[in-house]
Amino acid sequence: MPKHYRPAGKKKEGNAARYMTRSQALKSLQVNLNLFRRLCIVKGIFPREPKKKVKGNHHTYYHVKDISFLQHEPLLEKFREIKTYQKKVQKAKAKKNEELARLLLTRQPTYKLDRLIRERYPTFIDALRDLDDCLTMVHLFAVLPASDRENLEVKRVHNCRRLSHEWQAYISRTHALRKVFVSVKGIYYQAELEGQKITWLTPHAIQQVFTNDVDFGVLLTFLEFYETLLAFTNFKLYHSLNVKYPPILDSRLEALAADLYALSRYIDASSRGMTVEPKVDASSSSQSNDRAESELRLAQLQHQLPSSEPGALMHLVADKEVEEDEETRACKSLFKDLKFFLSREVPRESLLFVLPAFGGTVSWEGEGAPFKEDDESITHHIIDKPSAGHMYLSREYVQPQWIYDCVNARIILPTEKYLVGSRIPPPHLSPFVDNEAEGYVPDYAETIKRLQAAARNDVLPLPGVGKEDLEDPQNLLYAGFMSRTEEIEAAENKKTMAEREKQYHEELKKELKKEVTGSVVDDVAAPVVEEGEGEESSVPDAAQIAQDTADMPTLMMSRKKRKLYDAMKIGQKKKSESVERIKQRKKNLKADQ
Amino acid sequence: MTKKKSEAANEDQTRDTKKKSVSAVKSSQKEKPVLAKQVKSSKEEEDLLLDSATDSDYDGDSLSGSLNSDDFDSDVFDSEDDASQKETEGGDKDSSEDELELHGNEDSDDDDEGEQVDSENDEEDGSDEEREVAEESDSSEDEVAPRNTVGDVPLEWYKDEKHIGYDITGKKITKKEKQDKLDSFLANMDDSKNWRKIYDEYNDEEVELTKEESKLIRRMLKGEAPHADFDPYAPYVDWFKWDDAIHPLSSAPEPKRRFIPSKWEAKKVVKYVRAIRKGLIKFDKPEEEPNVYLLWGDDSASDQKSKHLTYIPPPKLKLPGHEESYNPSLEYIPTEEEKAAYELMYEEDRPKFIPKRFTSLRSIPAYENALKESFDRCLDLYLCPRVRKKRVGAHSIINIDPESLKPKLPSRKDLRPYPNSCYLEYKGHTGAVTSVSPDCSGQWIASGSADGSVRIWEVETGRCLKVWQFKEAVKCVAWNPLPDFPILAVAIGQDLVILNTELGTDEEQQKIEELLRLGTLPEQDEAVAAIVSWLPDETYGGIKIKHFKNISYVDWHPRGDYLSAVMSAGETRGVVIHQLSMHKTQRLPIKMRGLPVCTLFHPTHRGMFIIATKKNVRVFNLQKRELAIKKLETGLREISSMAIHPGGDNLIVGSKEGKMCWFDMDLSSKPYKTLKNHPKDITNVAFHRSYPLFASCSEDSTAYVFHGKVYSDLNENPLIVPLEILRGHSTSSNRGVLDCKFHPRQPWLFTAGADSVIKLYCH
Repeated sequence: MPKHYRPAGKKKEGNAARYMTRSQALKSLQVNLNLFRRLCIVKGIFPREPKKKVKGNHHTYYHVKDISFLQHEPLLEKFREIKTYQKKVQKAKAKKNEELARLLLTRQPTYKLDRLIRERYPTFIDALRDLDDCLTMVHLFAVLPASDRENLEVKRVHNCRRLSHEWQAYISRTHALRKVFVSVKGIYYQAELEGQKITWLTPHAIQQVFTNDVDFGVLLTFLEFYETLLAFTNFKLYHSLNVKYPPILDSRLEALAADLYALSRYIDASSRGMTVEPKVDASSSSQSNDRAESELRLAQLQHQLPSSEPGALMHLVADKEVEEDEETRACKSLFKDLKFFLSREVPRESLLFVLPAFGGTVSWEGEGAPFKEDDESITHHIIDKPSAGHMYLSREYVQPQWIYDCVNARIILPTEKYLVGSRIPPPHLSPFVDNEAEGYVPDYAETIKRLQAAARNDVLPLPGVGKEDLEDPQNLLYAGFMSRTEEIEAAENKKTMAEREKQYHEELKKELKKEVTGSVVDDVAAPVVEEGEGEESSVPDAAQIAQDTADMPTLMMSRKKRKLYDAMKIGQKKKSESVERIKQRKKNLKADQ
Repeated sequence: MTKKKSEAANEDQTRDTKKKSVSAVKSSQKEKPVLAKQVKSSKEEEDLLLDSATDSDYDGDSLSGSLNSDDFDSDVFDSEDDASQKETEGGDKDSSEDELELHGNEDSDDDDEGEQVDSENDEEDGSDEEREVAEESDSSEDEVAPRNTVGDVPLEWYKDEKHIGYDITGKKITKKEKQDKLDSFLANMDDSKNWRKIYDEYNDEEVELTKEESKLIRRMLKGEAPHADFDPYAPYVDWFKWDDAIHPLSSAPEPKRRFIPSKWEAKKVVKYVRAIRKGLIKFDKPEEEPNVYLLWGDDSASDQKSKHLTYIPPPKLKLPGHEESYNPSLEYIPTEEEKAAYELMYEEDRPKFIPKRFTSLRSIPAYENALKESFDRCLDLYLCPRVRKKRVGAHSIINIDPESLKPKLPSRKDLRPYPNSCYLEYKGHTGAVTSVSPDCSGQWIASGSADGSVRIWEVETGRCLKVWQFKEAVKCVAWNPLPDFPILAVAIGQDLVILNTELGTDEEQQKIEELLRLGTLPEQDEAVAAIVSWLPDETYGGIKIKHFKNISYVDWHPRGDYLSAVMSAGETRGVVIHQLSMHKTQRLPIKMRGLPVCTLFHPTHRGMFIIATKKNVRVFNLQKRELAIKKLETGLREISSMAIHPGGDNLIVGSKEGKMCWFDMDLSSKPYKTLKNHPKDITNVAFHRSYPLFASCSEDSTAYVFHGKVYSDLNENPLIVPLEILRGHSTSSNRGVLDCKFHPRQPWLFTAGADSVIKLYCH
C-alpha cells in the first residue's frame, strides 16, 4: 500500500485537508491571480506555512479557512460586478456609442473598504498597532509625482498628502511625538499613541524617482487600503479632540503649502471655537481680501480664526490635558519658551511638525508666516547654510540637527557645536538603539547622557571616579566634556584590575585544591621518576577550564538544539565582530589625528 | 468590348495627356508672348482640332474638375469604336456637344494652346520637319489607337510567329528583340523610374506611365473614381418639383396609425410612470454618504470573537541604527579598503546599506531605493507565510539567551570522585606509548611503546620496575585478570608473547612457570595450525604465539585462561582464541562479515563474545556456535574501540569520526546516546570496573571523563554526564592520546600519549 493511500470515500485529513495551494485557491474562488492578489491584500490574508507541505516545497499554501473566508466576501461579488460593468463600457465604446459609454461611466459600481477595516482591526488599538506600514507608504506617496504611466492620479497623491498632514497635525497637537531620526533614507518619527509605539518613515522632500522594478498595481492596492485605514484612524483621533473631520482648511495657507500650519490652526480653532465666539479680525480679513473675495472663504476664515494672535495658536485647552502622562508633559515643555524662526533652506515641513510637537513656537520665511524674521522675541534661528546674512544678536543661529538631537535627548543641548558656519555638527545618533545592548556606545551618546544627568541634577557615577569628585554637576559636565578619554582609560584600568584580581582569586583556589591532592602525594613514597613539570602542565589555564565547563553541557544537547545553539553563537559572534570593527576604526581614526 | 482593348485605349489617352502636360510645362517655363496659331493645312487643322479637342477635353477636365458622366461615356465610346468614332446617333450628339463644350474650353484655354504651338515653333529651326512628322505620327496614333490590327484574338496565335500582327496598311509588324533579364535588371537599377514602364504585349512596345497615370491606376485599384477631383458624394439635386403637385405620388389612403397615439409609446410611458411611483427611478441625485465616519465608536464589539483564523500581525520593520544616520559618527563609515572589499563579496554577503556622511541636512539626496523598499515590504506582507513563533518562556526564540538551550546537568561536585587533574607522569619510553594495562590489584601498570619496549611501573610512585625490549613496536599489552597469575600478553607484530612478570609469591611463580612451559603441544586443527604456531620465547622465557598476520588487539577472558587476538583478516581467521592452560588455539566458529576491529569477552555471561567490525558490533555465543545473537547498528563510519560496562548490559563504542555511542543492549540495537565529543579519532574508550565512570581518549590529545550511571531498575535510563576534559598530552606526529585505562580500584585514569608519556589522573 502506498504511503499516502487514502481509501475511496474517506475524507482528507491533516495538512492535506487544512491547506491548499494558491492555484487550488484560485480555482475554487474562480478568480484570476490579479483579483486574488487584490483580495488578499485588502482582506489581509497571507500564506501559511504548513508543517508538512503536501504538494511540495515550491508551492504557496493558504489555509482552507482563509480561502473560504474570501469566498464569502461580498467584495468578491462586487469585483465581479465591476468586471462585467467594464465589459459593458468597453462594448459601448467598441460600437462607437460614446454617449452610452459616458453614461455608463458616470454610474460605475464602487466599493468601500470600511467594513474590512473594522473586520481586520476590531479595536482601535489593533489599527494603531499595524499603522507603521500604512503611515510610511502614505507619506511616501505624498511626495511622489503623479504619473499617467503608473496610473497614479494627482487626486490620490493629494489625498495622501492631506492624510499625512492630518496625522502629523494630530500628533503635533497632542505632543505624542517621541523620537525623530534623520537618516539617509528619510526621517524616522516615532510617536506613542495609546501605549502603541508607531514608527514611520517620511522621505526627504525632494523629487522622488520612479524605478522600473516595482509593480505599481500591488503598491496601489496597498495604498488604497492604507488610505482608507488612515482616514478612519484620523477621524477617530480628531473625534477624540472634538474636532470636525475632515478639516476645512484655510485655502490661502493651503496655497502657500503650509498645510500643516493651517491644520494646527484649524484644530486649535475648532477645539477652542466651541466656546469662543468667532469674530473676524480686521487684519486677517483684509489680508485675505487682497487675495480673493469669495464669501465662502471668508466664512471659513471666520470660523477658523477666533483669535488671530499667533502666540495663542498653540494654546491648549486645560481640561484636555488631565490624562497626560509624564512623558507627554516632558515633551510638551521641551521648547516651551522658545521661539523659532526657520530659514528658507531648512526642511520646513519636518520642523513645522516637530517643533510644535515639543511645545515650540515656529515661524518661517515666506508668506503666511505667523511672525516675521525681525521679531525680537525669536530665540533660535534655524539655518542650514554656511553663513547667515544679517545676524540678530538676540537670538542663536543653529543648524537644524540641533532640534532633532534636543528632541531625542529631551533636554536643550548646548548650541555651540551646532552653530551656523562653524563646522559639521556632532554626529546624529539613532534614538532607536540601545547602546548598552549593542555593546558599543558612541562618544557623543555618552556626552548626551551626562548632560541629561546634569539636567536632572543627579549625579551619574563615572567609572573610575569617586563620588566625592562629583559634587558640582556643572563641574562634572565640564570634566565629562574635556577629559573624556582619560576617564575611559581610567575605567579600563579599573576593569583590568578587577579582572586580574579575579584571576588571582581563581589561582588561589586552584592552589588550595592542589594542596588537597598533594596530600595524596605525601602519603606515597617519594616518586622516583621526575614529575616536576607534570605539576605545571597538568594545570591548564583558567580560561581553558572555564571554556571546558561551559562546553560540557553542549555534549548532551540533541543535534537540533546544538545546531540552533551554534547558529546563535555565530550570530553573537558576528555582532561582536562588527562592534569590534567599529572600535578598531575608532582607534585608527584617533591614531590618525 | 474586351478589357484589353479598353485598357489599350486608356493607355493611349493617358499618354496623350502626359505629352500635353509636358508641353504645358515647357511653355510655362519659357513665357513667350502668345502667337497666333499656325495652321499647316486644312486636314492638319482638322486633325489638330480633333487632337486639341481630345486634348482640351482632358485639359479642361484637369482644370475645371467637372468630368461629368457624359464626358466619361464619350471617352469610353471613343475607345469603343476604335478609329471611326462618330457614327452612332447618340455618340454623334454627344460628340457634338463635346465639341461645343470643347470650343468654349478652347477659348478659355487659348493661350494654353498657343503656348504649345509656340513652343513647337520655337524649336522648329533644325528639327522642324522631324517634329512635324512626330506630331503627325503622334496624332495619328491618337486617332488610330493600336498599331496592331489583328483585333481581339488570343495572342498565343502569334506566339511562335516572327510578327505580332499587321499594321493598318496590312504589313506585318515584326516582333522586337526581347530584352534579357540581366538587361532589364540593369535598366531597373539605372533608372529609378523604370518601374513605371509597362510592356504592352498587344502592340509589342514599352509604355511609360506618368505620375498622374500611376496615381490614376492606383485609385482605380482601390475602387475609387479614377479622377482625383470626382466627388462621389455630391449633394443630390432633386430635379422633381413638388411644390405645385396636387396629387400624392401614391394614391393609397393614409393609414390609421398615423392618426392614433402610439401604443408602444404608451406602454413605455406606463412603465416609466410605474418605475417612478415605485421609486425605481430617482430624479434627485442620491445623497453622498460620508466617506469617513466614526468606525471604532464603541469598543464593545471587540468582545465578539472573529470567526476566522487568528490574525498574526506582521513583524515590524527593523529600526534604524546609528549607521543609517545622515551624519553618523566617523567610526561607522567604512574605509575605502573596506568598501573595495565589499565589492569583492558575493552579492548576498555584501552589506545592504553602506553608511554615508553628509555635511548638512540640505545636502541629503533623495533615497533612490525608497519605492523599491516599500514594494519589497508590500511583497513581504502579502506573499510571505507568517508563522507564530514558538515562545520559549516569556521571550520569542530569537531573543533567548543561547545558554538557556543547554540542558541542566547535575552538578559535577555531586558526582565526585572522578579523575580531574594530572597527578603523576610515567616517563621512560622513547616512542609513543601505544597501550597501557593496569594489573588487577592496581599496584602495577604495564605499558607498551612504539619503540619496542614493554615496561612495568609502580602506580603510586611512578617507579619503573621492569623493562623488556623487543625488536618491533608493541601494539597492545594486556594484563591477566587473575590476581594470582601476574602474566602479561603483549602483541608485537605477528607475535603474541606471554611474559612472566615475576611478580607475586614463589608459589605463584611456580604455577606460572609450569603454565608457560611448552611441553608436548597438543594436536591442533589443520586450519588453525596454518595460521598459528606456539613457540617458546627464547629471550624472555615465555610463550611466543606466532600468527600469520599482524595482531592489532588482545583481550583476556575474565577468567584468565582464554585470550583473544584480533588480526585484520576476514571470515573465521580474523579472530583467534587461545587457551593458555591447554596451549591450544581455536578459530572463530562462525564466519564473519567484515574485518574485526576489537573483541570483548562478556564480563558476566561466560560464553558471550562481542566482536566489533568497522560498521557494526555483533554479539556471539561461543558455546552454542550459532550466528550472531545480536547485531548493534552503530551508524558510525569506522569503529575504533569498544568497552563494556561491568554489568554487561551497556556498551560504549568509539569511532574514528570522534563519536561515541552508548548502547543499552537490553533496550535496543540502536545507540541510546551518541556523543560527538572529539574533533579527531577516538582511540580508545574505557569503563571503570566499580565507579560509574567511563572515558574516551582521542587523537586530539584530550581525554573525556563521563559519569555513566546504570540503574538496576530497568525502567530507568542510564545517566550520562560529561565531567571533565583531561588535557596535558601534547601531540606528536599528529597523534594524541593513544590509550586510556581506569585504575581497577581507584577512580583514576591512565592515559598513554604519543608524546611517550603515561599520565595518571586522580580525583
